[in-house]
Amino acid sequence: MTAPLLSIRNLRTWFYTEAGVARAVDGVSFDIGAGETLGLVGESGSGKSVTALSILRLIQPPGRIESGSVIEFEGKDIVTLGDDEIRDIRGNRISMIFQEPMSALNPVFTVGDQVAEVARVHGGMSRRDAWDRAVEMLALTGIPDADSRAKQYPHQLSGGMRQRVLIAMALMMKPALVIADEPTTALDVTIQAQILDLLVDLQKKIGTSILMITHDLGVIAETASRVIVMYAGEVVEQAEVDELFAKPQHPYTEGLMHSMPHIGHDQERLNVIPGTVPAPTEWPAGCRFRDRCPYSWDRCASEHPPLYQIGTGHVSRCHLAVEPERRNHPHPPVVVEAGVAAA
Amino acid sequence: MPWQTQDFAAASGPTPQRESPLALSVRNILRKPSSRVALFVLGVIVLVGLLAPLIAPYNPAAQPDIVGLKDLPPSLAHPFGTDPYSRDVLSRVIYGARLSLMIGILATIVSLTLGVAYGAIAGYAGGILDAVMMRVLDAFLSIPRLLLLIGVLVAWPKLSIGALVVFLGLTGWFGLSRIVRGQVLALKHAEFVTAAQALGASRRRILWRHLLPNIVSPIVVAATLGVAHVIVLEAGLSYLGIGVPKPLASWGNIIQDGSDQFPTMWWMSLFPGLFMVLTVMTLNILAESLSDAYERRR
Amino acid sequence: MNGTEPLVSVRNLKKEFPIRKGILSRQVGAVKAVNDVSFDVARGETLGVVGESGCGKTTTGRSILRLIEPTSGEIRFEGRDVRAMGTSELRALRREMQIIFQDPVSSLNPRMAVGAIIREGLTIHKLAEGAAADARVRQLLQEVGLRPEYSNRYPHEFSGGQRQRIGIARALSVEPKFIVCDEPVSALDVSVQAQVINLLEDLQRDHDLTYMFIAHDLSVVEHIADRVAVMYLGKIVELATVEDLYSTPLMPYTQALLSAVPVADPHARKERIILQGDVPSPANPPSGCVFHPRCHHPAKDAACAAIVPPLEEKTPGHFAACIKQPPTTVSWEQQKEAGGVHPPERYLPLAAVHA
Repeated sequence: MTAPLLSIRNLRTWFYTEAGVARAVDGVSFDIGAGETLGLVGESGSGKSVTALSILRLIQPPGRIESGSVIEFEGKDIVTLGDDEIRDIRGNRISMIFQEPMSALNPVFTVGDQVAEVARVHGGMSRRDAWDRAVEMLALTGIPDADSRAKQYPHQLSGGMRQRVLIAMALMMKPALVIADEPTTALDVTIQAQILDLLVDLQKKIGTSILMITHDLGVIAETASRVIVMYAGEVVEQAEVDELFAKPQHPYTEGLMHSMPHIGHDQERLNVIPGTVPAPTEWPAGCRFRDRCPYSWDRCASEHPPLYQIGTGHVSRCHLAVEPERRNHPHPPVVVEAGVAAA
Repeated sequence: MPWQTQDFAAASGPTPQRESPLALSVRNILRKPSSRVALFVLGVIVLVGLLAPLIAPYNPAAQPDIVGLKDLPPSLAHPFGTDPYSRDVLSRVIYGARLSLMIGILATIVSLTLGVAYGAIAGYAGGILDAVMMRVLDAFLSIPRLLLLIGVLVAWPKLSIGALVVFLGLTGWFGLSRIVRGQVLALKHAEFVTAAQALGASRRRILWRHLLPNIVSPIVVAATLGVAHVIVLEAGLSYLGIGVPKPLASWGNIIQDGSDQFPTMWWMSLFPGLFMVLTVMTLNILAESLSDAYERRR
Repeated sequence: MNGTEPLVSVRNLKKEFPIRKGILSRQVGAVKAVNDVSFDVARGETLGVVGESGCGKTTTGRSILRLIEPTSGEIRFEGRDVRAMGTSELRALRREMQIIFQDPVSSLNPRMAVGAIIREGLTIHKLAEGAAADARVRQLLQEVGLRPEYSNRYPHEFSGGQRQRIGIARALSVEPKFIVCDEPVSALDVSVQAQVINLLEDLQRDHDLTYMFIAHDLSVVEHIADRVAVMYLGKIVELATVEDLYSTPLMPYTQALLSAVPVADPHARKERIILQGDVPSPANPPSGCVFHPRCHHPAKDAACAAIVPPLEEKTPGHFAACIKQPPTTVSWEQQKEAGGVHPPERYLPLAAVHA
């Protein structure tokens, strides 16, 4: 296997808030290969978005990437780069597509100007060349009549069109990696289908890697080749997409899949994961999912599970990997009420 | 299938903190050292005003020896000196704190009442009523407040303090009502207001229980700044001789009493001036941290 | 009262929002948010309403409660004319119809403790006061899965799912018969979403509730609804039982909508109908069938742009607004007159997938 494009080791991004230290990302490691689409799934509070922002070093105080974290990209450690160097990478070698296309665009410039700006900053292109290239990119993202659309302002475009503009901006410099943070969550389902199609299509054309961050397992299944599941600041499972959906190992992944209603599979009642994600300032010791887990036993409270190897490229942070017989004896989840946890 | 369809313990979650929004804002404000200092200083000044009769070494109006004791510079017996009528300036500044703060607060209460009522009605009613009320307000706003006050006070000299407070209040609500209207307008389509409507709540209930409590913060900020503004205005008017009737002691009056011989009798303007600046500054600092706390909460 | 009479009945509902311009606020046009919508909600059923943003589903829901005043049309609740009601009648009606909102943050007054929020309806309708009201609040909290001790806490102390439960308790406090659920789980995480859906189903069973469940998530609607109305540009374009709608969607828009939902199964990558372009502006909807500019029905022709398709019964209980899906009351002669060149033909591109 060739060296990965991006290699993250023991990433810890902590926020020093009044309520205590929020360990939003707490020891995350993974690789992204050249040209691959890696899916990153998790619910709010899992740390998936903070991971994305850390890769571009866009963490604002009181947040901080702790020392000892390594984000190696094209032979450089992003964590220790100078400000000039990191700016040279952002929008150029690594770019980002945000969830809310309206707030990610500047309302007082035309979209063409904003796309062209990327090429002027990073490519040193002349105004004219940059504009021509911007129109070309906008056309490539499927914006009809790109010539005149480029002269419009963000508010004159629909949500789907704005997301296309953001994609054009992100792909302008043919980056090695595009981080897409919930790129279709704010869009309607028919528009989402258009945008996902477009992303997959453009990836084939440009050969960029994509880190697809989402809470939607459906989006993951349709775009990613490999998936990482995050829970409570940690990677809890990682596998090839087919493997993950066929044989989820971590109880959280399993629970997530079972709690989604599926079209065409009618159930009387939905399965639920009881309780909620714990606060990032007080991750429980041992397994962080154990209070909500139907299999947990004493070992889960005393021993923080490592990432056990399940199969080729498949790891799971759950002791079930070494005591699989426990899977046959689920119990009602031990959800403990806040405040009486110790009792 | 281990996955439950019962979520008997869904109520668990992050430990909720037991804190009301009000307690939260207070804590936010007190976090900054500058606002703690400001609150302390202001507290001392208010206390001084409240306890004036107990603290003041002399009767502020007493003229013990109009020849022998007049125009004295600060000394141990008269730490802030005496004025041309032989009155003790320290005692007068202490009583001045009482009067100036009282005028500031009372006048602000008047403008608060008017401004909140006017703004809330305009914002909540909307439509034509709102448009008319706002144009009327524009007309008021186009006349400078000081000019309006001077006009009134020159036309009616010898106004009682009560009337002065009312006039200061009557001319001070325009800006505030703008703020209130804007906030009400922004909030009246919030879903919790729609929810109250859906429950059958009356307009009055929605205004009192749902809208006003949520705009307390900007109102308090405006009111705090308003008190500071009134104190300065009152001092200015008194300095011009059309404010607080003499011989009552307000900070403006004391400065006025020494204004003829300003360079030589520096204590007559320095001490009341200092108190006034301190009061206004601390009020402004508090208003700023209030509005910071408010912004943070959003 | 007649047992077969619908609980809610809506006829020809229209809501236009005027577009005003200039200093004189001259009306220059109107956004037709809801454009001639008719449907019934039967007692005890859950009517799902799906559609994309701007289709008018929320406006329809709020019009029934008269939180938005409709421009025209008729709304009946248990046979009573809702639009003709005066202030006091309307207030009494609000005991019987409630609403649950999408946004767990903005739907709770941040300055009121949870107990006060839930209690408000009791006070307004004089249902309970003092200790009785306290007891009722505690009971309601328990019923929605929250601890009764939470009643003196403030909304900001709760998670999104818990806030949604508070909103549900508020709606339940007045013991309504009918609840409009306006995207109640859209803002929640998947695992919490399931908790809230189960709760809504339990409450429906325990209190004989009737729901109008508005959502954009088709899988959630399939799970919770008995019948589904699909809205597009202010119109209901298809209305059928869940089984019929999801197995044989007749309206080309519904077909596209269903095929666009990402499936959480990498092996089931399905044929997808990707719609071209965006939803047109409701201020200037297309003539004829509002969906025709984006339609993929092979028989689409000039008649679609000329004839407004009626919402007609294609198979028993299955209504669709498409003149190209037979049977139709718009005869082939009429269609030809309007420039039609393709006779109607059954088109079910998704049938294979769901068979």
